[in-house]
Amino acid sequence: VPDTQSHTPELVAVFDMGASAIRLVVAEVAPTQPIRIVEEASRGVLLGRDTFSGGVIRPKTADATFEALDGFRHIVDSYSVNQVRAVATSAVREARNSELFLDRVRGRSGISFEVINEAEESRLVYLAVRESLRGHAALKGAATLLAEVGGGSTSLTLLRRGRPNRSGVYALGAVRLRQQLDLRRHGHDLQVALLKHSIANVIEEIGLEIPLARVTQMVAIGGDVRLAASQIAQHDGDNGLRGIERDAFLTFCDEVERLDEDALVSRFRLPAVEAETLVPALLVYRALLSATRAGRVIVSDATLRAGLLLDFIEPVGRQAVEDFERQVLASAEAVGHRFRFDRAHGLHVAKLATRLFDELREDHGLSDRERLLLQTASLLHDVGVYVSLRGHHKHSQYLLAASQIFGLSAEETAVVSNIARYHRGRAPQRSHLAYVALDRNDRLVVTKLAAILRVANALDAEHLEKVQDLRLQRRGRAWVLEIDASGDITMEQLAAAARTDMFVEVFGRQLAIRLSGVTG
Amino acid sequence: MIAADRPEAALFISRELSWLAFNERVLEEAADPSVALLERVKFAAIAASNLDEFFMVRVAGLQQAVDEGDTACDLSGLTAAQQLAAVAERAHRFVGELYRLVGDDLLPALTAQRTRLLAFAELNEAQRVSMAAFFRDSVLPVLTPLAIDVERPFPLLLSLSLNLAVLLDAEPGETRHRLGIVQVPSGIGRLTRIPEPEGAAFVLLEDIIRAHLPQLFPGQPILEASVIRLARDAEMEFDDEGGRTQLELVERELRRRRRSDVVRLEVEASASQELIDRLCTQLDVPAESVYPVRGPIDLRVLMGLVDLPGFEERHDPPLQPVNVIAGEQTDLFSILDQRDVLLHHPYEAYDPVMALVAQAADDPDVLAIKQTLYRTSIGSPMIASLQRAAECNKQVTVILELTARFDEERNIRWARALEEVGAHVIYGVRGYKVHAKACLIVRRTPRGLRRYVHLGTGNYNERTARIYTDFGLLTASRKIAEDISAFFSALTGYSDPPRLNKLVMAPTGLRQRFLRLIDRERRRAEAGQPAEITAKMNSLIDGEIIEALYAASRAGVRIQLNVRGICALRPGMPDASENIEVVSVVDRFLEHSRIYCFLNGGDEEVYLASADWMTRNLDKRIELMFPIEDALHKAKVLGALRAMFRDTVKSRWLGGDGRYHRRGPSPGELPFRAQHELLLEARRSSVTREGVGITFHPQQHEPSRSQGRPKSPG
Repeated sequence: VPDTQSHTPELVAVFDMGASAIRLVVAEVAPTQPIRIVEEASRGVLLGRDTFSGGVIRPKTADATFEALDGFRHIVDSYSVNQVRAVATSAVREARNSELFLDRVRGRSGISFEVINEAEESRLVYLAVRESLRGHAALKGAATLLAEVGGGSTSLTLLRRGRPNRSGVYALGAVRLRQQLDLRRHGHDLQVALLKHSIANVIEEIGLEIPLARVTQMVAIGGDVRLAASQIAQHDGDNGLRGIERDAFLTFCDEVERLDEDALVSRFRLPAVEAETLVPALLVYRALLSATRAGRVIVSDATLRAGLLLDFIEPVGRQAVEDFERQVLASAEAVGHRFRFDRAHGLHVAKLATRLFDELREDHGLSDRERLLLQTASLLHDVGVYVSLRGHHKHSQYLLAASQIFGLSAEETAVVSNIARYHRGRAPQRSHLAYVALDRNDRLVVTKLAAILRVANALDAEHLEKVQDLRLQRRGRAWVLEIDASGDITMEQLAAAARTDMFVEVFGRQLAIRLSGVTG
Repeated sequence: MIAADRPEAALFISRELSWLAFNERVLEEAADPSVALLERVKFAAIAASNLDEFFMVRVAGLQQAVDEGDTACDLSGLTAAQQLAAVAERAHRFVGELYRLVGDDLLPALTAQRTRLLAFAELNEAQRVSMAAFFRDSVLPVLTPLAIDVERPFPLLLSLSLNLAVLLDAEPGETRHRLGIVQVPSGIGRLTRIPEPEGAAFVLLEDIIRAHLPQLFPGQPILEASVIRLARDAEMEFDDEGGRTQLELVERELRRRRRSDVVRLEVEASASQELIDRLCTQLDVPAESVYPVRGPIDLRVLMGLVDLPGFEERHDPPLQPVNVIAGEQTDLFSILDQRDVLLHHPYEAYDPVMALVAQAADDPDVLAIKQTLYRTSIGSPMIASLQRAAECNKQVTVILELTARFDEERNIRWARALEEVGAHVIYGVRGYKVHAKACLIVRRTPRGLRRYVHLGTGNYNERTARIYTDFGLLTASRKIAEDISAFFSALTGYSDPPRLNKLVMAPTGLRQRFLRLIDRERRRAEAGQPAEITAKMNSLIDGEIIEALYAASRAGVRIQLNVRGICALRPGMPDASENIEVVSVVDRFLEHSRIYCFLNGGDEEVYLASADWMTRNLDKRIELMFPIEDALHKAKVLGALRAMFRDTVKSRWLGGDGRYHRRGPSPGELPFRAQHELLLEARRSSVTREGVGITFHPQQHEPSRSQGRPKSPG
């Protein structure tokens, strides 16, 4: 008998517009209760085929989208759903006509789709994976790779002891590969050879960023690998996890790659749309697995939809935010390590910068999200030293711009890289291309946060962590930064005084730096 | 195409011959003196009617293939021409036996019990006079006698209609006898009751007309008159439940190019060779397609003798199904919130299924009812419930499979009525017949959404639920509800076919699942584990499934199959099917449930399905298979299934030679009749249930044989 004290669950619907299908899940969600799926539906619509070849969603595909959504509306309406969230990923994100397209979708179906970026996608999928792996050994492993091969891209996250350490989204999607390689023009064997070659190149690049060779466990997510699991896997506990031994998986991939689409359709009773993506997707999984030391593939039923559902009930309090921030920072630290950064200095500057940020809240008007960007940039501002001490702030900029930090979108990574760029040297100029490439709002964010970082970094000029804390005293037109410190801080004071240039410009106040009365 | 010299062909039984063997088993029931007389008459009528359909569909198909010069072989290695020849030979023998039984046995037995079918010559003068008046007033006005000549060509005779073929003397100046045709009107009952002091006596309409032929051909000497009947290519497909479904478009297109579509001509045994020759020429019928019969043509007429009031003791005692949830507690939702209910019809009543839909219609918290309907009965209370629900603004979705031409109009009428009150009616799914039987009820409760599901092996038809054996599962399982919701969304075109949790659907996954389940047993057997497959179905025809069963048998899997009708698998063949046994049970109720059990190393998996192991079911139908997971329900299904193999009364075992033979009880063993035992078992368990809070309804007691009528309550 169900618990009578529990809440009446809410009926929610989640739409996911992907590269090869549009999907719907209707579910009941209630805090502290497991999510109960009511109904799932999907319609194969190859949006990715349009976007990844011609760059725009064609009218015929748009019509197929409208038709699919009409049906989904019928389903949703039959349940009197309370809340709806609809998201679109790479196939729409990258289409040149995405705004017009989504506007028509809204007009036709009444559903407002939100285009989510890679970071949000990774975060949502990670939510679902974490849920499905709850209590599983893979979450405790030293190096676990989460891999999702979608239609548009492959999303990878390296977990160290369950925490996201590195992550990246790579343009290695099943539909995208088909379109880019123009596979239709070739015979089956040549298709497979082209795919393998192209995948191998990208995997090699991935290996530079994510130490695949050290991976001991692999968790695979995605429709194509689920199909493989349904064929060859043994059940592995609850939560829809299935394990496939490494050799069995490789053998299965070898077997499947020999089948053309007609053979796939008849062998697995697949819709034609799914048959198109199966071989490219499995070849990506295969290449990833081969690059790791994992003895088996754990296939999780986690999906972006499940993540969206969890997001409805995910505690939105401080705890969740801190969790997320920790994941981002852990991933940022991993980037730092790659460039042999001075971790202690980075952490210390980050601490001082966020303190200063908090003191200045009413002045800069920025949110916790920007605080996190500042923290990340502070942590990593010196990575350019890896290339050369001279002009290292410039090296920091491009190194960070090319890095992938879990939880941060491409735009946010660009902001972080610019903040780091301006931790020293000249203030932003019109000739600084990476800066000019940002939109107006992001440029403001960079300027404000860089101003803070310059001061915070100066306060640890000797990398000796002498400054413990700081407070801002607003006394008329002149502000005083009161610092708690131990030992001689002459160097720091001098450096900070020299680095208030941007601060003055941004906040319109002179900043004096004083040692507080009581120090230890 | 399968090569004629395919060595495996010897391992398959011809589908058509296997069907004829099934009909022979039905005939055996008609011949069995231990069966109640009117049941025997019914079996004879059913066997005759079955054969009509067989000719119109299967023989027509073979004829078509021969006409097109198709030399492909079936699984058993026979070409269409070879099958046609074998069928003709066996069908002729069958018809001979059928009429011998009816003429020498059943009709005399009926006469002895004061139900007589009289020849016109047997009428007394007074009766003849009254028949003459009847003919003049009621029959003559609707007759259209036709004398065939150059101006008046041979008329188009409807398939299965009765006609009199008359040979008239030659016109003056001509030498050739003339042919006349009188169609026997179908709007007048074929049996006309003759007043008799006691009992019932009937004369056939065609005999009345024949006696008055001179009035139809005045001044033309009548040389002879014979009743004739044609069977034509039906351009339709009959399923195993007697439902007629339109043929797939492609097949129909193929058949349109046929040369002659008459596949059988029945004439009375007394017809002269001259008359037969004339008819064959006119109708383009080869001599081997002519069936002279000794007795009334179209024995479906015997059904009219079966349901006469006052003769109940000549039937089996009337069935009183046990209502497993009768009594005080009639809130099915609250029952299903606690447990699943598994129903075994007709031993257990169909009422709960009807009641569930009725309750859903009246429950203000019910949001939606979705249901497949295939061959439902006209005026069904289920349709009334759906209509009421739609009127109350519930979302009602009905997936309707239109079937027989004759009842299509009526089906469409109530379907329209449903649409008018706001229901969403879907007239089938293009390219597939919806054969799955599923009903879904969506209800909101303070604790969230609740869904109630009925899944069955038989149609939503409360009448056939009293004659067919079927299982039905009522459940509130979330996983199953999720699957069924997705199933309906797929059928209504709102979604692509889903991946399912618990259920398996054809044509998307059922064949593959069956093959995997069979193969899993094979692998277990090879690994030295015990491995068993026990299954029950109406027909077993699919070549791929049969090959998989042979592979399993070779590996040592013990396979027991209860196949009521056609079985193309040849059991007991060395190095192929040594571990396979096939039994068919033909008894009072039509065996109709489909059960598939796999031992799975001891963790036995039991499934019920709407599908047979037929290629058609697996590839061209929308079907559902569902697992039975509750331990008590498993035991109930397995008990019913195993009873089929224990039967020593109504079971026939298939031999490697394709023949069926009975196995009586072993010496010292009591005879075991599965259907009878299951009926008793249903009673016993309903009494047992009384102890757990479910009240046994006193009206449900079966009257004893001698009482003839149900007892009044109390």
